[in-house]
Amino acid sequence: MKRTADHEAAEAQRQHELLAALAAPRADAAASPGLQAYRANAHASAERALRSACPTVLALLGGEDFAQLAREFWHAHPPQRGDLGEWGAALPEWLAAHKALVDWPYLADCAWLDLALHHCERAADAVFDAASLALLSSTEPRRLQLRLMPGVQGLASCWPLASIHAAHASNDEGLFDVARERVQAAQGEAVVVARDGWRGVVHRVDAPGLIFLQALENGADLGRALDAAGDGFDFAAWLADALRCHWLKEVALIGD
Amino acid sequence: MQAVTPDMTLTGVGLRQPHYRELLEDRPALGFVEVHSENFFADGGAALAVLDQAREIYPVSLHGVGLALGSAAGLDPWHLDRLSRLAQRVQPVRVSDHASFARAPLAAGGAVLHANDLLPVAFTTSSLDIMVRNVLQVQERLRRPILVENLSAYLSFDDAVQMSEAEFLAGLCRRSGCQLLLDVNNLMVNALNAHAADPLGACRRFVDVLPVGIVGEIHLAGYCEHSDFGIVIDDHGSRVREAVWAVYAHALRRFGALPTLVEWDTDLPSLDVLLGEAHRAARLQSEVCEAHR
Repeated sequence: MKRTADHEAAEAQRQHELLAALAAPRADAAASPGLQAYRANAHASAERALRSACPTVLALLGGEDFAQLAREFWHAHPPQRGDLGEWGAALPEWLAAHKALVDWPYLADCAWLDLALHHCERAADAVFDAASLALLSSTEPRRLQLRLMPGVQGLASCWPLASIHAAHASNDEGLFDVARERVQAAQGEAVVVARDGWRGVVHRVDAPGLIFLQALENGADLGRALDAAGDGFDFAAWLADALRCHWLKEVALIGD
Repeated sequence: MQAVTPDMTLTGVGLRQPHYRELLEDRPALGFVEVHSENFFADGGAALAVLDQAREIYPVSLHGVGLALGSAAGLDPWHLDRLSRLAQRVQPVRVSDHASFARAPLAAGGAVLHANDLLPVAFTTSSLDIMVRNVLQVQERLRRPILVENLSAYLSFDDAVQMSEAEFLAGLCRRSGCQLLLDVNNLMVNALNAHAADPLGACRRFVDVLPVGIVGEIHLAGYCEHSDFGIVIDDHGSRVREAVWAVYAHALRRFGALPTLVEWDTDLPSLDVLLGEAHRAARLQSEVCEAHR
């Protein structure tokens, strides 16, 4: 038995060595053509996965720089799952700390928004329970929870995230002018990401609306979420937006 | 005069995004469509909806690239959960993956990385033990036998080899009850990279030593010569080469008619071109199997 375990340990070591050679930040100058081919394939897969997940970051950086960053990111945070659609959660923080990107202070938040849209489009399909809205008029807010559609997320940024995203998604020069002005003024924006059909969509919200949604994301009951949003919060207007933009899945009695 | 469409019962093509609409609207005769399992691991979304639609029209073959069946670190339970969930949803005609590894820790006790590639294993008895164990775990979870595909490998562990690749694959099938997914293009790629004096002969000899009955499916694809690395790469980006068709015909003579997939994953052609390759495979099956009846 010990011999078998020793032999399997030798295989594990062989596999570790090959993976370590692939993951090493710099290729060994004497690397075999085969190892070079596997490294090139890893880089191509990384670039393909991030291109698909982060179109705004790609548009901001351009193809060549983006490919270089995708390669660097693969070595800094190699994937742990066999589905590259799940990879990239560490990208915003990694971009924020990247020394070569100090002139792009909004890039990390743009990556966050891209990834939120990417995950929203992969989230579970769900149907809005319209009948559950009746609970709003019959039940105390502390006993109710507003459950969001899978993939719905809110984010506040000190940069004009929604404007940058809209400009690059549309290629409309007017929208680029708006985004540039807002970047120069360091004008922050709060956004909610949700799905419209199969597509992820970015909605701008005001600060109380975002606080309210984030409280719901964190599992607060309706009463606590209203308290968090503060006196100036217009729940009726928020609910109308939530219904129009498909943020809300259902109103539920706590404990159900 | 239009060519008669051959019997496509056993022949399939990959269902890839640029062809979704045309394939699902035109519904050409095909025995099955193949998808890469990992592309449908999400909880929901458009891709899964398309797959559900395809499933209404064609049998679906789930072909994985990420189980990493040869990994000494074992299987990723998350991956197996997702595959099991997908298989329950799709009820695939076949489930397959590769005789490769991808998972290993970078440091002892550290996180296990996934290379997202088909990395070769050494053909040793302990590699075989590992792969048999992992394949059995998948089959137990899915409650069905799977198929395991031979690789195109760009590295080998010659100092460690204890058996030939064909012996390794035959042993895997015998001990685990899985079937072999024989990729004849991969045989050719390996023969060319090994600088075989007679690559076609080397591929035929490989086929000849495989036990009859273990092959459950055949894959055909194109390869390219990669000038940067000076090796041949199995890139699934062009038509099937003539020499690979010859290996395919040889395999059909030995194993009989088998489900056959034409793989084309990069530089995708029009659907007509892809279907043309599939028709050629189906015609070859009819000709070879008719001649051997």
